[in-house]
Amino acid sequence: MSSKRKPTNTKWSHEFDTLRRENLFKNPPQDHSAYPLLVQAISPHIESFNEVFREGGLVTKAIRDIGTKYYLDGDERTGPAGKNVLSIRVKDVVVQKAMLPPSNKFTTKRHIFPAECRERHVTYRGRMEANLQYKVNNGDWHSFTRDLGQIPIMLMSNKCHLEKNSPDLLVQRHEEAEELGGFFVVNGIEKIIRLLIVNRRNFPMGILRPSFKGRGAAFTQYGILIRSVRPDETSQTNVIHYLEDGNCTFRFSWRKNEYLIPVMMILKALVDTNDRAIFEGLVGLPGSKATKNSFLTDRVELLLRSYKHYGLYTKRKTRAFLGKKFRIQLGVPDTMSNYDCGTEFLRKIVLVHLGNVDVTEAQDNDKFKMLLFMISKLYALVGGDCCGDNPDAVQNQEILLGGFLYGMILKERLEDWLGTNLRLVLRDYLRKTPGNNFATQEFAKQLPVRLMGRTNENIGQALEYFMSTGNLVSPTGLDLQQVSGFTVVAEKINFLRFISHFRMVHRGSFFAQLKTTTVRKLLPESWGFLCPVHTPDGSPCGLLNHLSHKCKIMTKSVNASAVPQLVVDLGVVTGSSDIDEAVIVTLDGKVLGWCTPKQSLLIADTLRYWKVEGSHNVPKELEICYVPRSQGGQYPGIYMSSSPSRMIRPVKYLALDKEDFVGPQEQPFMSIAVIEPEIVSGESTHVEFDPTNILSILANMTPFSDFNQSPRNMYQCQMGKQSMGTPGTATRYRSDNKTYRLQTGQTPIVRAPLHNDYGFDNFPNGMNAVVAVISYTGYDMDDAMIINKSAHERGFGHGTIYKTKKIDLSEGQRSRSITYMKKAFGFAPGDEAKGRQGGIDEDGLPFVGRLVQDGDILCCWHTVYVDASGALKNRDGVTHYEKYKDGETAFIEEVRLIGGENGSDPLSMISIKLRVPRSPVIGDKFSSRHGQKGVASQKWPMIDMPFSESGMQPDVIINPHAFPSRMTIGMFVESLAGKAGALHGLAQDSTPFRFDEENTAGDYFGHQLMKAGYNYYGNEPMYSGITGEELHADIYVGLVYYQRLRHMVNDKFQVRTTGPITKLTGQPIKGRKGGGGIRVGEMERDSLLAHGTAFLLQDRLLNCSDYQKSWICKSCGTFISTQPTVSAYANRRKGTGKVRCRQCARKIEGALGSGTGETWDDGHGQRWVGGEDTTIVAVPGVLKYLDVELAAMGIKLKYNVGTA
Amino acid sequence: MSRETYEAPNTGSGSRAPALGRGNAESALGGEGPATQYKCGDCNAQMKLKRGDPIRCLDCGHRVLYKERTKRMVQFEAR
Ligand SMILES: [Zn+2]
Repeated sequence: MSSKRKPTNTKWSHEFDTLRRENLFKNPPQDHSAYPLLVQAISPHIESFNEVFREGGLVTKAIRDIGTKYYLDGDERTGPAGKNVLSIRVKDVVVQKAMLPPSNKFTTKRHIFPAECRERHVTYRGRMEANLQYKVNNGDWHSFTRDLGQIPIMLMSNKCHLEKNSPDLLVQRHEEAEELGGFFVVNGIEKIIRLLIVNRRNFPMGILRPSFKGRGAAFTQYGILIRSVRPDETSQTNVIHYLEDGNCTFRFSWRKNEYLIPVMMILKALVDTNDRAIFEGLVGLPGSKATKNSFLTDRVELLLRSYKHYGLYTKRKTRAFLGKKFRIQLGVPDTMSNYDCGTEFLRKIVLVHLGNVDVTEAQDNDKFKMLLFMISKLYALVGGDCCGDNPDAVQNQEILLGGFLYGMILKERLEDWLGTNLRLVLRDYLRKTPGNNFATQEFAKQLPVRLMGRTNENIGQALEYFMSTGNLVSPTGLDLQQVSGFTVVAEKINFLRFISHFRMVHRGSFFAQLKTTTVRKLLPESWGFLCPVHTPDGSPCGLLNHLSHKCKIMTKSVNASAVPQLVVDLGVVTGSSDIDEAVIVTLDGKVLGWCTPKQSLLIADTLRYWKVEGSHNVPKELEICYVPRSQGGQYPGIYMSSSPSRMIRPVKYLALDKEDFVGPQEQPFMSIAVIEPEIVSGESTHVEFDPTNILSILANMTPFSDFNQSPRNMYQCQMGKQSMGTPGTATRYRSDNKTYRLQTGQTPIVRAPLHNDYGFDNFPNGMNAVVAVISYTGYDMDDAMIINKSAHERGFGHGTIYKTKKIDLSEGQRSRSITYMKKAFGFAPGDEAKGRQGGIDEDGLPFVGRLVQDGDILCCWHTVYVDASGALKNRDGVTHYEKYKDGETAFIEEVRLIGGENGSDPLSMISIKLRVPRSPVIGDKFSSRHGQKGVASQKWPMIDMPFSESGMQPDVIINPHAFPSRMTIGMFVESLAGKAGALHGLAQDSTPFRFDEENTAGDYFGHQLMKAGYNYYGNEPMYSGITGEELHADIYVGLVYYQRLRHMVNDKFQVRTTGPITKLTGQPIKGRKGGGGIRVGEMERDSLLAHGTAFLLQDRLLNCSDYQKSWICKSCGTFISTQPTVSAYANRRKGTGKVRCRQCARKIEGALGSGTGETWDDGHGQRWVGGEDTTIVAVPGVLKYLDVELAAMGIKLKYNVGTA
Repeated sequence: MSRETYEAPNTGSGSRAPALGRGNAESALGGEGPATQYKCGDCNAQMKLKRGDPIRCLDCGHRVLYKERTKRMVQFEAR
């Protein structure tokens, strides 16, 4: 086709668009996706990863921060004089796309696509190389390259083959037409790095935390915390603590250790200053209002006075002092002077966002000003002039993006490699060959290859470990509060679940253990950023949130370079705060200047106008947080941010009637109307585009959710993610352990337009069902539902489970090549005939399409060795069989033979995909989209179902009692709307907040029903299917979209009378898998007792549990002294059948005893007489165990045995 | 995932894997036993492979092969 196609339409409404969708399926677009909203939803993941490796990206910035490492040769114990200096640095890091290794010479297609990695259960990764440079003393720089292993690559990122692929191309590459990327393929499993909530960067937060008091003597609960972020996205948290006497201490953590420094020392080290300048910086010029605040002046005076005893007056001296104290911690070379070391300390640790590489004097001055501001805020906090900032509010939070975290780990690995690792190798080298100093030829020859080869340079493996386990192995801890749980599997149970993973934001596993619930609370600050509905109930409630669907996360900083000059033009004074009651103006944690409170409002308003207008080079994504002066409210000022990781969301700016982006920090101080009628003239500056913008993608899919009681909407968000749906269309090329598929999915009649915008019709998630709300049979009590048997036969809810079983014969081996081969698929010679009977093919693999049942053979293998000619020969003539061990019948769907990436390895791994058909059975779980779950209780024959006047019969019957307490009115409305939609052939728009008291939903859909000749209220007269009589009440019938949930009885049922037991106690084992029992606990026992069903209780607790017959001695009343007797004349197998009590018996000394009674032999050659008073009793097995345990502690149990 | 359950991948340290002393992989690997029909996972080409043969498509070099659906009668009880 040469004619130019029209670009793919991306506008969607709530209509069915059946033909348009069909066409999209038949002819996947060759330009771009038809669902841009989907692409947008996951873009923070991909964009953040792209930031890492793009030109001038995070890695480049990280390399600059790492800088050059210096090493000295010679004896460690002697001083630096006369030693050679080796300088080494990373020039750049190059990552290649996923390619076949050069050893594979069998193909010209060198790319490895993600689909292949999924199928082969390997990691989608690309080789990473570092270009290094080194010089000795002041020689020239020499370059060399080192291979750093293969790193996992995010799909659809700029290092992925799928980047910018059209849907058409994606289909050719065995992906979903709407493949989104944003995850990694690790060992064939899709993994995603969770979005994490962290403190807002570069903003000094006032913290009131009682636990601060425990940090040491004189510490108080007051502190100012700033999470300072370097350009490479790594962060360093600085805290200033307020001490009881009014002093301030600077705290930071370095390599997991905490350090404290008087804040004055940092101030003096940063710039050449004097006490007067510091005093005026904190209090103001003489004569200003603040100087009369004796609370402040007293404390500042003390701050200055108490520092005197250090005797460090100049910047030079102070830096040298700091340098001397921290040289070890910083790991600087011996040649560096103390002063330079102090400079290095300030560069690496103090307010790093204001300068971390080649720090200029101006930058040091910025740091100085910021520190002064922090101290002022701290004193204001202590004095009660301002309140603390809430670290649990979104206002003071931002998102740690997956890509950024990935970059942070990469940076740390690089630094560790060049810093720590190489140091050890060099030391070792110098110790072994002291002759070869750095200046020798020999060293120059060995460094790039031999010596670097000894370092642990497989950074790729470290990253793969991180992706695979989610564990962070880090010497610094990366300024994070957790070390595990960073990655999760992006399960593709259905598409809703899959997409939710990318919108998921976690508060951090540290907070999961917290006993207080404050962190979990839904705060008003979250409005529009985090969905109030979409959070799970139970332990992760409120910690695991989901982004509102319009909320974006910035992945780049916006260009705000014009802002500093603009604010100066608007009247901000850059010098010192010599204005009375000055209000601070900052941009990204840098003090721009001060202005009067009056000016500050004007400046904020002007900047906002400009940013929406797009003039004066003020970017639209700039956040301008104007905090007004208040009585004990938040510390006033204008805090602007242009940094990445911020959440932003679109709202309409009323002054220009244009889109504006607001951030969580500024939002609490703005007046944003939710709907147009709410706008208050002169107060509201913004209005929401749509009230549904606050909901997450999933919460938006709940029809008429505004009619429901809110917890029901939360339940639906959970159940939507558990429903059996359509995971995708490329299931053939996937090898998930377990996937679910609904065979008869439909598009819902009632849906929001967003349903189409997000392309959910590509992944049907349920079925439209005719639902009657009636108590009809008695089988619908307590949330059970009745399914029409004929509906079931038509395929209602029919589903399938696909299970993939990987069989790897080379597990644990180093290589898959033929020389290492120990096992091979197939039969040992002579066993081939057995294959035919066992149902497997000549190659030892199952026939594709075959039915397998419990115990059937899946495949077989035998042990082999490689003979001289290179052929595989069987070792022992034994064929081993792998069996199918599930109780359910399944079909062999696919058998995949998996080769190595060299293309030369013989078969050592296969994966078998099994298909388990799962038609709905009694006990399977279904739910509507309103948190109304129920269990199928009967398949009711069609002839016995009630029918309406037009002859319609319900597919599903639910009990009316499901409604009064749950108040899911949305389900009633959906039923009405669905009915009207089906009758008229309409798709019904179910967006919440569209109806009100005047225009009710019931009226709107009621009239539609009337038009179709039905009852306005949705009720219909119905007739009993059994008697044919009209039912006394009209029945509420309509169409509701039903989801089949993945919890099915076939995976859950647990039955046993006898079976495996625990050896120790004789009681049944735990767990369904091993055929164990279900515990009858105290409460169950109480219940049986209360019912007077003592025999049932005995059956459960004894007969079906650890019932045991045991010998006991009646006279001494114990189990443990009984023993069987031995006799030379007795039957070998049965023994004598006599059991005697050893304790009651008397040992016979000498030849023969006194002759009172029968003698017996104990098997040790000892003869006894007596102890005959034994009998058999039935006891629980644990009783005997208890007896033995107590006996071991010297406690005797005595049983009084009577007769029954 | 706990640290203990993690298993370092053993397939492809690629060039890092020890080079094996086999010049021509093809000739050394004269497979034996019965040949079975397989299909390429990429180009759909059909090929017959014997035991010990390297697993790759003879046409395109792809490394995932599918076993073909059996031609034997597959009959199930209709329920
Ligand atoms: Zn092929």
